[in-house]
This record gives sequence, C-alpha cells and structure tokens, in this order.
Amino acid sequence: MFWVGLLVPITYIGVLVGSLATFSSLYRKRKAAKAASLAPWFDPHIPRNVYLSLLHLEPAPGQKSPVVPDSVLRAALLRRATEDIYRVLAIRGAKAALGILVQRGSVGDDLWQRFQRAEQEIEEELRDVVKEANAFSPGWGASIFQTANEMASNAIIRKRVDDIQAQAKAETDWWEKKRSTIQSEFMKELYEGSEDPAASSSTPQKSTTAASTSTAQGGSDEDTVFVEGGGPAAQGAKASAKKKKGKK
Amino acid sequence: MGDSFTQLPLQIDPTSKAVSVPESAQSKQLTAELTALNALHRSLLNLDTPVPPPPIPVNPKRSAQIQKLRESGSASFRKGNYPDAIRMYTFGIEMAVGRPGWEPSGLVRDEVSVLYANRAQAHMAMQNWPQAMIDAESSVEMKKAGNTKGWWRKGRCLIEMGRLEEAKEWIEKALDVEEDADLKALSKEIDRAIEKKA
Repeated sequence: MFWVGLLVPITYIGVLVGSLATFSSLYRKRKAAKAASLAPWFDPHIPRNVYLSLLHLEPAPGQKSPVVPDSVLRAALLRRATEDIYRVLAIRGAKAALGILVQRGSVGDDLWQRFQRAEQEIEEELRDVVKEANAFSPGWGASIFQTANEMASNAIIRKRVDDIQAQAKAETDWWEKKRSTIQSEFMKELYEGSEDPAASSSTPQKSTTAASTSTAQGGSDEDTVFVEGGGPAAQGAKASAKKKKGKK
Repeated sequence: MGDSFTQLPLQIDPTSKAVSVPESAQSKQLTAELTALNALHRSLLNLDTPVPPPPIPVNPKRSAQIQKLRESGSASFRKGNYPDAIRMYTFGIEMAVGRPGWEPSGLVRDEVSVLYANRAQAHMAMQNWPQAMIDAESSVEMKKAGNTKGWWRKGRCLIEMGRLEEAKEWIEKALDVEEDADLKALSKEIDRAIEKKA
C-alpha cells in the first residue's frame, strides 16, 4: 500500500517531465529547421570553400595524394580573410538601417533572423581565420586582418580608378566628333561669310583671334587650335594659359 | 553551418603550383577567384617573410622610384616636353597601382592622386581635354580633400569642351569640399560664360 502510494506521485512527475522534455526538444528542432530553411544572407563564401577544399584536397583517381604547398594555403587564407572583410563591412553597414526597419515593422522577422545568423557566422568565421593564421605562423593572427583590410581597400580603389579610366575612350571619341562638327560649322560660316557681306563682320575677327592663338601656341595641331580659337571657349583657353603660369 | 563547406574539385599543378578547376565545375566567380588566388600566391612568393608583413612600415624602394618618376615627369613638363612628361607620369601611376595589395591603401591613394593630377596638367597643355578630364577625375576620386588642383583641372576641361552645365555642377561639388580662391574664380567664369551663351 505504501509502495502504491509512492508510485502515483512518481508516475505523475515522470509523465510531466517527459512531456515537457518532448515538447521542448520538438520545439527546438522545429525552430532550428525553420532557421536552417531561411535563405543565407550572403552568397556562398567562395574563398572559404577554396581554402577548405585545398586543405582536404583529394587525390585524382590513379594518382597519389597531391601535396599543397603552405604558400598556396597561406594565399588562400589571405583571400578568405579579405572576403571576410567585405562581409564585415556589409554587416556593419546594414545593421543600423535594418534595426530601424525592424523596429518600425517595415520588414519581417525572417529578415532580422537571417541577419543575426549571418552576424554570428561571420564572428565565428573571423575567429576561425585567426586560429588558422596562427597555426601557419605564430603571430600572423594578429596582423592577418590588417593585411586583409588593406587588400580589400586597395582592390576597391583600383576598381574605381579603372572604372573612371575606362570612360576615356568614349570621352575622346565624343570630343573628336564634337570638334569636327564645330569645325565644319565654322568652315560653313566662314564660307557663307565670304558670300554674304552682312555676316562677314564677325568672321574675320574670329579668325584673327584664332590665328594669334595658333601662333602663340606654335603646336603641331594648328587645326585644333584654329577651331578652339573660333569656338565659344576661346577666352577660356587664353585664361587657362595665364592661369597655369600663375599656378606653377 | 559552422564547420561545413562545399568541397570544390580543385586541382593543383605539381610544378607551377597553380590551382585550377576542371572544366565541368567552372563558374565565372570561381574562375575569377582562382585567378586572384594564383596572382596573390605568386606575389607572396616574392616576399622574404613567409607571411605578408603588417601594412606599416612600407618598403621604401618603390616609394623612391615613384618619387623619381614624378620628378622627371615634372622636369619634362617644365621643359615643355609634354608627351615625355605624360610617359613618366604613366610609369609612375603603373608603379603606384602595382604596389602589392597588402601595402597601405592610403599611400597608394596619395601617390596615384598626385600623379594623375600632374598627368592631367600635361594633357591639358596638349589640349587633350577629354583625357585630361578623366585624369583629373581619377585624381579627385583618389583624394577629395586637399586636392584643389584636381577639382580645378576637371572644371577647366569641361569649360574647354563647352560643357558648361556639367562644369557648374562639378565646381559646386568642389566648393563643398574645398574653399579656394582659384575654384571661386573658375565658378564665376562659368557663370559668366553661361550668361553669355543664354
């Protein structure tokens, strides 16, 4: 009788704890599954994949295991760290804005969850890179991200300059075309001027300016100077010559 | 996710140590990444130390060479030999841009900015306005504050090409960054030119 009396509360507690445990584990599993099903914030981390693939390089069929020299692995690790820098910058840039949007309810909770997961991942990733760097050469962990940071900003500024310089051809072509139109219009004006006495009053004046400019410059491209002199920018050209002397 | 990764079917050339990927698995991004990796690997091999040193201090050799190119370019410019000046400046730019990626980017900005500004001036002396404009813009892109010459030169080029509205916009931007008498004078000149045209 005593044992039966004890059995009832024990069963009761057992069932209670068991159902709670089941519920909690189910709930967590479902939450994890939901989080995993969310799209990742970033594209696949290619340099990371390359680095880890190099570490675990499998021999091609019929060959012995290839040896990856440390220098290649170090280069791959540095590429990975550089990509991490871009990601850290992207995360930092997005954080404040996204925080405000979530507070206002403008974006869904999903987005915020994806973001937080990306943030955690990148933190883990940074720790991992430092660990790997220290394994290659003691103390590299302290400076690898400095180096990677410079690599990232160097790549950015080179791209900007390249983008600007890439327009040079289009601009030159445009200018050549415009210059030849100005030239032909000017020639037409000149030609008409000789026919029409009314228009001739302005033309000779222009051509004298042009002539004086071209003699002053004495350049090989007198044609262009001629047009410059006749064009709307004649004054500007002179002013610039003066200016340059002043600045030198 | 922490420890998982996508295994890529990479190959490594036993002699050149170049990493590649078989044609079947190629993608544009991956190919670009591997090209960058191999280039980085080659430049790492030129180092005396196994890992790239921290950004500072810089190897002074390259800085001296760039300095020298800039000076000889300026000497040619003063003699009126503009094509030669342009060539020197171009070498200097290539040298500055060719610094290894782990060297300080601020240094590259400074050097490249000055060289482009100088090259713009040489192009202007030859009345090659479009190229001068592009160079001045590059110079400003590298260094906005304390680069009055760069701002001024692009403004001047735009005026020379008759693009007054653009010039006005550009100089307004310049005056936001920099208070300078030359820029103000140029701004007035643009306003006068626009009035005259209207």
